[in-house]
Order: sequence, then C-alpha cells, then structure tokens
Amino acid sequence: MSRRVRRVGRYVDALLRDRRPPRAAQDPDDLDALAAAIDLASDRPQAGMPDPRFVERLEARLREHAGGDVRIDRRVTRRGLLQVGGLAAAAAAAGVVVDRAVEHGGTTSAPDTLAVDAGSWHFVVAAEELPVGRAMRFSTGKVEGVVVNRGGGDFLAMSAVCTHLGCILQLNADAGRLDCPCHNAAFGLGGDVLHHAQTAALRPLPRIPARVRDGRVEVNVV
Amino acid sequence: MAPPDWEAVYRDNIASIYRMMYSKVGNQPDAEDLTSQVFLGALPHLRPGSSGGEVHRYLLATARTVLADHWRRHLGVQVTTLDEEVAAADSGEPPVTDDSASRRVRKVRRVLGALPANYRTILELRFLSGCSVREAAARMGISVGNAKVVQYRALRRAAELGQEFAP
Repeated sequence: MSRRVRRVGRYVDALLRDRRPPRAAQDPDDLDALAAAIDLASDRPQAGMPDPRFVERLEARLREHAGGDVRIDRRVTRRGLLQVGGLAAAAAAAGVVVDRAVEHGGTTSAPDTLAVDAGSWHFVVAAEELPVGRAMRFSTGKVEGVVVNRGGGDFLAMSAVCTHLGCILQLNADAGRLDCPCHNAAFGLGGDVLHHAQTAALRPLPRIPARVRDGRVEVNVV
Repeated sequence: MAPPDWEAVYRDNIASIYRMMYSKVGNQPDAEDLTSQVFLGALPHLRPGSSGGEVHRYLLATARTVLADHWRRHLGVQVTTLDEEVAAADSGEPPVTDDSASRRVRKVRRVLGALPANYRTILELRFLSGCSVREAAARMGISVGNAKVVQYRALRRAAELGQEFAP
C-alpha cells in the first residue's frame, strides 16, 4: 500500500512541476488515479498552452524535414489558412478557439471573413480611443486580457493571466509592462517575460485573436 | 524552400493538437514530444486537395496512434486514449478537441465538488493552489505522511466518481 502511495505521489509531483513523470510501473488498480491526476493537472489555469518557443522550434524542424516534398494543395488552403493561421496558433492557447470553414474544390478565392465556429467576437474598445503604443486591460467575463495598439491598424491582444500560477496581471501603462501582484513577475506588452522570481522559466503570455471591424477592436473568446 | 501550405496547416492545428495532447498526459515535456511526433509523422502524408476537416481528422488519427504508443512504451497500459475524440471527428461533429476539453473541465469540477471535504481540500491545494505536499499538510494540520495517503485516496476516489459522471 505505502509503495503504491509513493509511486502515485511521485507521478503527481512531476505533473505539478510540469515535468515528465517517472516511467516506473504502477499498480494496475492505480491507473485510474493517474488518469484523474492528469485531468486535474490539465485543468490548471496555466496548463495546456503551447509555449510559443516550442511552436517555433517544431515549425523549424518540420521545415527541415519538408524540403520540397510536402504535397498539400495550395489552391485550396493557402491564403485562407495563412490568414487564420497566426490567430489559431495562439487561440487555443488562451482558451479561445478559431476554426475555419475550408473551401473545397480548389477554389482560389480566399474567404472575406473568417468563419468562427466556436467562440465569439467581443467588443473591447473603439480603435480611435486607444492611441498608438498604448495598452488597456479588458475583461470579457471569461477572458482577462490586454490589448495593445501597435500602430498601422495592428492591435495585439493577449492573456492577462500570469503563466506562473494564474494571478491576474496589472497593467503598468507608464512602464509599458504587466506586473504580477503575486510573485513579482513582469511581462512586456508583446507577452514576453521581463523578469520573475521562479527557478523554472515562465512561459510568455498567450495571444488572443483580435481584429478591427468598423473601427471597433474585437477579440475572439469561447 | 518548402511551399508555405504545410506551414499554414501547422499553424492552424498546432495549438489544438498540443492542447489535446496536454489533456491526455498532463505535462509539458510529454505533450511537446507527442505533438512533435504527430506533425512529423502526418505532414508528409497529406495529399493535394485535402480539406481542412480531412487534415484535422488525419492529424487526430495520427495523434491517437502516437498517444497509444507512448503509453504502451512507458506504462504498458493505455492510461488515456483519444478514441472518443477520433470517433466524434469521424461522425462529423464540429470542433472536436475544444468540445471535449470543456466537457472534461466540467467533469473535473463536478468530481471535485462531490468529494469528501478533506479529499477535495488536498486536491485543490495541490493542483489549483500549487502547494507542495508539505505545504498542503501544514495547511490541513496533518502530517506529511498522512497528506500523501489522503492525496492518494482522494485521487482514487476522484477516479471512481469520474467514471460515474462519465459523459
């Protein structure tokens, strides 16, 4: 019994540190407990978001492997997918979902609007009310975020939840950063980690899809 | 240089596949490894004319195999599977991964709510508040050894409740 308690305990310890769990054999009767621990670990606010650095690294690896060999019909998917691609990569990361109706039959026309099957667009601020270089906090009720006017009609939105333990970040507009009130971490207005007091590296803030429609800045959340 | 199309497919699916893998293994290094295997394995096989839905289903099917291999190698038993997600995608249900993710979250909340108080407390302290066993034991006023046993029993009970509440 105590051996089983220890083995499951070590497995849980690894999950909570976001590390690879030990591969030691487990009692068959404890496998459901491990699955329950995995469910709980995946439910943590900071969990399950792909690290942007990992996304880039894997893309580079795939590029290396692909050479000129990959055969995906560019007529069908190219422009539409490229349009939504950058959004989608960040979307699920922030608990927001972008999906897209892909056109069949080799059409060359890109869709005018992105078909968002899940989630909805929320008004955040009138574009003209947020000067270039400035940021503001917003809350949709489901997502705490920050939107930044990067100039030229480019608005960047990102999560305002610390990637350490999920504390809500405070916008320090004058310093151009987001401060965590819990453990002294700070993020730049691009989501990058400026400093923190943890031994393990923190992940950058996940992005949230944003768009400007009729002069209104909107973000997509589930 | 490779055509840009695969990059688009990649960007369109990377987050959902990663997130789904994370929900099945519960930790970053394994989720990253398995996600990498899915894309490295699947991308060369995507055919001209594949629609977004077909691409997604192929990635999902690859992910199921990759996850099954992972568990077979490491524990010899499938602790978690993607069978439900693949079945849902094949039956044409829309956004598979995120739908199942929200179902899972609801289930987790319901399970926690149904646990006896001390079981719920230790799981919340550890998984939600990020406490170590030692910190959790101190907050609960019990010994470290006792906290380990309570955590073990709480997970076993949570697993039983999870099966009762299975969607």
